[in-house]
Amino acid sequence: MSALDQPQVEASLEILLRDVQPRLKVLFARYRIPPQDTEDIVQQALLALIYQRQAIRDPVAWMMGTIRNKCLLYWREQRRKLYDAVDAAVLEFMAEPTAPDQEEADLRRDLTHAIEQLPERCRSLLSLRYSQGYEAPELAERMGYSPSSINKITTRCLAALTRHLVASGILCE
Amino acid sequence: MTDHPTPDALEQFILGQLSTAETREIAFHLLNGCPHCQQATSTLWEPADSFEDPTILDVICQEEDEASADGYDAVLDRVFDKVAATEAAFAAQRFQAGALLAELIQVPAERQHLLVTNSQRFRSRALCDLLVEESHETGFQDPRRAVELAKLALLLVDRLTAADCGGEDVRESLRARVWAQLGNAHRIHSNLNEAEEALAVAQELLAAGGVGLFDRARVLALLASLRRAQEQFAEALRLFDRVAGIYKKLGQWNLMGRTLLQKSLVCGEAGDIEAEMSLLRRALDLIDPQNDPRLFLAARHNLIHALNESGRSREAFALLFHSRPLYLKMGDRMNLLKLRWVEGLVAAGLHRHDQAEAAFREVREAYAGLGLDYDAALASLDLAGIYVAQGRTADLLRVTEETVAVFQSRSTHREALAAVLALCGAARQEEAGAGLVRQVSEFLKRARNNPNLQFSANP
Repeated sequence: MSALDQPQVEASLEILLRDVQPRLKVLFARYRIPPQDTEDIVQQALLALIYQRQAIRDPVAWMMGTIRNKCLLYWREQRRKLYDAVDAAVLEFMAEPTAPDQEEADLRRDLTHAIEQLPERCRSLLSLRYSQGYEAPELAERMGYSPSSINKITTRCLAALTRHLVASGILCE
Repeated sequence: MTDHPTPDALEQFILGQLSTAETREIAFHLLNGCPHCQQATSTLWEPADSFEDPTILDVICQEEDEASADGYDAVLDRVFDKVAATEAAFAAQRFQAGALLAELIQVPAERQHLLVTNSQRFRSRALCDLLVEESHETGFQDPRRAVELAKLALLLVDRLTAADCGGEDVRESLRARVWAQLGNAHRIHSNLNEAEEALAVAQELLAAGGVGLFDRARVLALLASLRRAQEQFAEALRLFDRVAGIYKKLGQWNLMGRTLLQKSLVCGEAGDIEAEMSLLRRALDLIDPQNDPRLFLAARHNLIHALNESGRSREAFALLFHSRPLYLKMGDRMNLLKLRWVEGLVAAGLHRHDQAEAAFREVREAYAGLGLDYDAALASLDLAGIYVAQGRTADLLRVTEETVAVFQSRSTHREALAAVLALCGAARQEEAGAGLVRQVSEFLKRARNNPNLQFSANP
């Protein structure tokens, strides 16, 4: 590569970026990504494109595919915050030391009922979590999952439980 | 409960856009069982659910998208400027890395390690990239060197910081690729245990979640190749499906075609020749012959081979006729030899024994002349098949004895020698049939990358 090649590379990137800009805007709008959160997504994708340019055949398709995937990951991450909050709230309910016996019994019954509505593997996992207080490594060991997959499975189960609890609550007055 | 969250707050709650404290507060409110807010949130899940399904997104009103898209211009302009500056810096860095690599490969191994470990000048992400590429390119010509280059890349990547790489994710992606390439080099060098260990580290990095989609596909493809070498065909097929899925997502049709070609090899080795041909046809639809003529020709070559193997030699002959210009266009010695070899195989399939014999002889002598004894031995076995078909027992014995002599003169491939000796023994007893020749030939092809394979002749 000679020094003369460099402006050409920059020019081709600039053309590519201008070409892809309208499509990116529509993509972000469709995925409802707040503008302030798009900066990291675009920057990460473009840097990866630059670093791997030689291996990539169709840079526009690559970029759109990569950014679409990052938008999905963005929402999954946002949703994970929601699931974590619901999880923390349930754990707090369960640990409430001042709850009268009847109230605690009702709470456990409602939670058990909610968990019973979920698929089998979530039933086992969440029962261990809320009744025995198991953390992820213990859950993985007890249920025979690898440490790397237990977090994904826990998130899926928390997602299912969150839907159910948000729709019906666990302390109906 | 009287203080209900606002509709906006509920929407942001469902989309996960609130702070931890706000999220927690609304979560408590809902879990306490507020029918009003439960009702209000019931319809809010749908937009976020649709993000997981791109086909639903496609029907969302385009005008609405465009109207709300203008807010992104300022951010995109800012990022584009920043990235353009980074690209210029990266191009310069890559240019320097080429010079560093040239410098590095000229010095002895100990010195290479010293330079990579101690010299700040060599602490470059672009150099690490080049070492991975060079290791990959070198793989089949010089597997030992490919392993050394990958180990050097590993030494280097462990010294690179996130700042050297342009971010933690980029560094983790590079680390995963380096480990995967080391595993791949070990695989090609027939060290399957070392390959397994290296690729296990790459898999751990994938599981940690920081590796980008494109690098994930590259790592999984190398893992699938290892599973193929280990004859874990079902796992190899599953991994290639994941790789193809990623390339589809990224619109990389050529790479998807390459993946289907790799997957077809697994089907062929697993004995599913119909699936092999179907995948090769799909691969040929995806690979661009202008951009990647070598890959396109490889897929065509394999399809001709598979058609012939499945007894459809007339179709194989027709496809070969149309493909001949591609082989000639490539023009390199190895492709021309592949052409001559497949011409012999198709001629044998059509029972044109004289043509087949002439082709196999030519191929065998050319490979022997190039010092590629293993390929010469495989061509000899095809020649042996012709002699069996014609009942030429003396010629059969001669060609098998010649092959034994070649293997005996080399200390490698002990099991391959055992297989050829078994054939030679049967030829001496005038008991070598087409089935045994085929068994030995198939064994030699499989044992090539797996010297631990044991030969046992089936009756």
